[in-house]
Amino acid sequence: MKRRILVAMSGGVDSSVAAALVHERGDEAVGVTMKLLARAETGFGCCGSPADVDDAKRVAEKLGIAHYVSDMAEIFASKVIRPYLDAYLGGTTPNPCVECNRSLKFGHLLGLAEAWGCAAVATGHYARVVNGRLHKSLEPGKDQSYFLYSLDAKALSRAEFPVGSLSKDAVRAKARELGLKTADKPESMETCFVPNRDVRGFVAAHAEADAPGIAGGPIRDRSGRELGRHNGLAAYTIGQRSGLGLSGPEPRYVVRIDAAANAVIVGGVDELQTKSITVGALTWNGERNGGTFQAQVRIRHRHTPAAASIELNGDRTATMHFMEPQRAPAPGQAAVVYSGDEVLGGGTILRSLGGDA
Amino acid sequence: MTAYLDHNATTPVRPEVVDAMLPWLREGYGNPNSVYALGQRARAAVERAREQVAAILGAADASEIVFTSCGSESDALAIAGGAWQAHDETKGKRRKVVTTKIEHDAIRVLNGQLRRRGLEVLEAGCGPDGIVNAAELKAMIDDATAVVSVMHANNETGVLQPVAEIAAAARAAGALVHTDAVQSLGKMKLDAKALGVDLLAVSGHKVNAPKGVGALWVRRGVRLAPLVTGHQEKNRRGGTENTASIVGFGLACELAGRELSSAASHALALRKKLEAGVLRVKGARLNGHPELRLPNTAHFSLDGIDGHHLVVALDLSGICVSSGPACSSGASTPSHVLTAMGVAPELATASIRVSVGWGSTDADADRFLAVLPQAVEKLRAAAKVAA
Repeated sequence: MKRRILVAMSGGVDSSVAAALVHERGDEAVGVTMKLLARAETGFGCCGSPADVDDAKRVAEKLGIAHYVSDMAEIFASKVIRPYLDAYLGGTTPNPCVECNRSLKFGHLLGLAEAWGCAAVATGHYARVVNGRLHKSLEPGKDQSYFLYSLDAKALSRAEFPVGSLSKDAVRAKARELGLKTADKPESMETCFVPNRDVRGFVAAHAEADAPGIAGGPIRDRSGRELGRHNGLAAYTIGQRSGLGLSGPEPRYVVRIDAAANAVIVGGVDELQTKSITVGALTWNGERNGGTFQAQVRIRHRHTPAAASIELNGDRTATMHFMEPQRAPAPGQAAVVYSGDEVLGGGTILRSLGGDA
Repeated sequence: MTAYLDHNATTPVRPEVVDAMLPWLREGYGNPNSVYALGQRARAAVERAREQVAAILGAADASEIVFTSCGSESDALAIAGGAWQAHDETKGKRRKVVTTKIEHDAIRVLNGQLRRRGLEVLEAGCGPDGIVNAAELKAMIDDATAVVSVMHANNETGVLQPVAEIAAAARAAGALVHTDAVQSLGKMKLDAKALGVDLLAVSGHKVNAPKGVGALWVRRGVRLAPLVTGHQEKNRRGGTENTASIVGFGLACELAGRELSSAASHALALRKKLEAGVLRVKGARLNGHPELRLPNTAHFSLDGIDGHHLVVALDLSGICVSSGPACSSGASTPSHVLTAMGVAPELATASIRVSVGWGSTDADADRFLAVLPQAVEKLRAAAKVAA
């Protein structure tokens, strides 16, 4: 039976092909582009900027499917941008894509889809749903399951990733074959709503003027010696080397952000190696209330999941001990737990416990 | 089958209008300005249409009608053309435009441009019923006023405006008076002379003619600085006449004029049925004056929803309504009209406009009313989950 499927169309090639595949298999694809930013801020290439909306509309016209724009600027501001700012201001490294997927695409949009009589929400993510469980995409270099770990069972039962079993080349080839305008559109990089990758500029422009993360402060080594000055915590993330303005024979990396002291702590590359992390706000696919088990943990997008022993504390937190030390887990980023290709669950990194914890 | 309930956005072209146009797209392609017979026939067709448009507007003479490309162009010619002409003739003494906060974007955007180029533009507000505050507006008019512009009926709420009262005051002060009557044409009797205005704008596609043709009634003796220069339309609007569309517009006006009273009572009956049905939905309210409205237009707020999302839900059921002016689809920003009426932003974005017209049936209204309550209920449920 023909089903109505809502396709979240960003105006990029992946979601364009997702819509095409839904349409091609005989279902009724309804394209929706989320307008995520207020009008004054859409001068750059972000989801829902006029150029991207136009691209999505052109693709929908070419396919002969319905297309709508939904203004979600308000909810995006409260559920994604505000926590993003707060994380940076508090000295952690946020993961806005995780929150956007949870609150927007598979939260608000999924609710709308139900109201509009749609059986599922399809996106252009490279991931798969197998028997109701989230799995990596078949193209390892493109896998986006990391950003989707927090979808619950209900969301997964209504989620479709039509390009999740394809390679990027195959997706582009399909788009070209169909003559879609977006076939050769460049990849969107970094955070979609931050223009020119200028995180500090964005945070400074959007945070309160007296927010602590904006104020300059010391860059110190572990011994407390001041090596230089930083221009606000918001610009820094664990493992970062460039942009510190330090001279010296040894390369220095950000190893810790001390929000209480408004200090950035740097150290040698060896100090980035981390044996254990604590993780909070955990969600699991299925019941897990305690105990210890072995799995693989990914601590950032494109990180190869590392073998770890996971000790659950029962209260949605866990301590994860890596078999081999891992480089630079950053508080605020997601730690996603895999068993092979399957995503078991994940949470937010609270602390890294150092090389010898 | 589509239930089309958005006649204020545009209207279907009547088949007899299409038929009347086709010869002018085929064998009657001559330039109306050409000397030979092929051109003369086209000119005669344009002049016949001019009489038809003049008749429905209550013009003294067909020569008072200037054909344009659309209602927006007619508005721009009236206001910018009128203001610059008066400005130049008075060596800059008359440099003020007085209008309202509820005009169509064609005028609001133009106002911004006129301001940037040095004219003073004042906008009067309206009451909670959507009726322009005539006293406030009249107090803005003085001997520096070049043009006063007040829409005849609001495109979103359908509320009728006190044009005649304002026109009398404006003309007493020596200002030109324009009214944007785009939404009123064919829906109620228009009499330009009786209104006491100098300029009156209408559009073809709101009255079952095609898009791409409009007209401006210009009271005899009124001078305007042309926006599109050339010798056509008695030097008031250049560009070769759009013969086929002008012919279609003329016939559509004749048909609308002939059928006015039956069309209006048909529209009013449907509107009342729609209003009664919608107001049975919990949390629904009617926006604008309950009586002083176009017979075909009803504007509602349904609390707890995004009007745009309701429009999508209805579209997926084959029903066309709108959540604001068609020009601003996509962004859920409160309409300037509802804002001027003092409607809270969350209620202003929770609104839809339903407008009936030629070809609308009881069955269309029934379908809309059958789908609406559940669509609203589902959207409210979705909004609760998201919050």
